[in-house]
Amino acid sequence: MHEISLVQGLLQQLHDLAAEHRTARVTKVTMVVGPLSGVVVESFQFGFDILTREDDLVRGAELEIVIPEVSYRCSGCGAVEKTAGQRPRKCSGCGDPILIAEQGMGGDVILQQVEMED
Amino acid sequence: MCDACGCQTHIHDHDHGHAHAHTHDEAVIVDVNRSLFAANDAMAKSNREHFDEENLVVLNLISSPGSGKTTLLEHTIDRLGGEIRIGVIEGDIETERDAERIRAKGVPAVQLTTGGACHLDASMIHRGFHRLQKEPGGDSLDLLVIENVGNLVCPATFDLGEHQRVVLVSVPEGSDKPAKYPKAFTSSQLFLITKTDLLPYFDFDVAEATREARHLNPGLEVMAFSATTGDGFEAWLDQLRNLVSQKKKP
Ligand SMILES: Nc1nc2c(ncn2[C@@H]2O[C@H](COP(=O)(O)OP(=O)(O)O)[C@@H](O)[C@H]2O)c(=O)[nH]1
Ligand SMILES: [Mg+2]
Ligand SMILES: [Zn+2]
Ligand SMILES: [Zn+2]
Repeated sequence: MHEISLVQGLLQQLHDLAAEHRTARVTKVTMVVGPLSGVVVESFQFGFDILTREDDLVRGAELEIVIPEVSYRCSGCGAVEKTAGQRPRKCSGCGDPILIAEQGMGGDVILQQVEMED
Repeated sequence: MCDACGCQTHIHDHDHGHAHAHTHDEAVIVDVNRSLFAANDAMAKSNREHFDEENLVVLNLISSPGSGKTTLLEHTIDRLGGEIRIGVIEGDIETERDAERIRAKGVPAVQLTTGGACHLDASMIHRGFHRLQKEPGGDSLDLLVIENVGNLVCPATFDLGEHQRVVLVSVPEGSDKPAKYPKAFTSSQLFLITKTDLLPYFDFDVAEATREARHLNPGLEVMAFSATTGDGFEAWLDQLRNLVSQKKKP
């Protein structure tokens, strides 16, 4: 459950932002969770629910999670397959099992947007 | 300057250049676009710079509990202790046991207990490395091996500043581990199949495990050995000798 420590880092960032914007309330948080990030969305949501309950700044805030598509390039035929779901087991064109994931947001977890009361 | 020890770290945190928008109901919307890994990655980068300054090769061992990480270290120290100066940082949730096993071999070792956390992170390593340097022999090492907390999932997401990540799977665990825990294999440079002396008793298929792992990571190097019989162990020792001698070259 490393998701808990990631949520702790998120809360730290939210507190910094709130201080900077002199607000006492965060109402919505939008996260991009890459399918290759090693972060389980349900566990992240769970950690967010648990930790925000004890935090006046974020209590009751909505968490939106966006899952970006990842491009997988087939090492056999070069075809590119895009999915936000699980890594394909093999190329749907030629059946080659070696698919190269393209670098990008797929492996990252990003705090994209925060909505706060003014 | 770093708070923990006063050493020079190079972390450029926080840029506040984000966009700003106000909507009708006076909510403030801030576009942040900042990775949750950014703080750890910055610390990992500073660790790596520190290790490079010391000409130190650093490995991060990750596996399920019981795959043979500590045993691998013990046998490696027995075989290489005379030619390579080795230090160890042990990660565990609660106990000091693994560090004691390593110290019994006469090698400097520091135990990090995470108090429940299922992985090590770069700032724990930063502090652990400073502790290790204060141990006898800890300030002049060629090779630092970090034994991560036994877990194939969580440690895979945290860069510690290592030069190579090494993932281990033991024969009794089965050859489907790469397919089940892809991140551990896509983020590693070396895959060790351990306890090959047990191959006659389990239906582990070395070729299949290798194939599955290389589907995920075509550049992954794979070695199979038994620490207890020594079978195949020479290739691992040569790998360490090579890494250390490359680091020593100007
Ligand atoms: N048969 C066999 N057992 C091994 C081998 N390497 C380690 N073990 C055993 O596996 C168990 C767990 O090993 P340990 O090194 O503590 O695993 P760790 O949790 O990954 O550090 C111990 O009982 C070891 O004796 C090996 O090469 N062959
Ligand atoms: Mg161990
Ligand atoms: Zn975890
Ligand atoms: Zn193809």
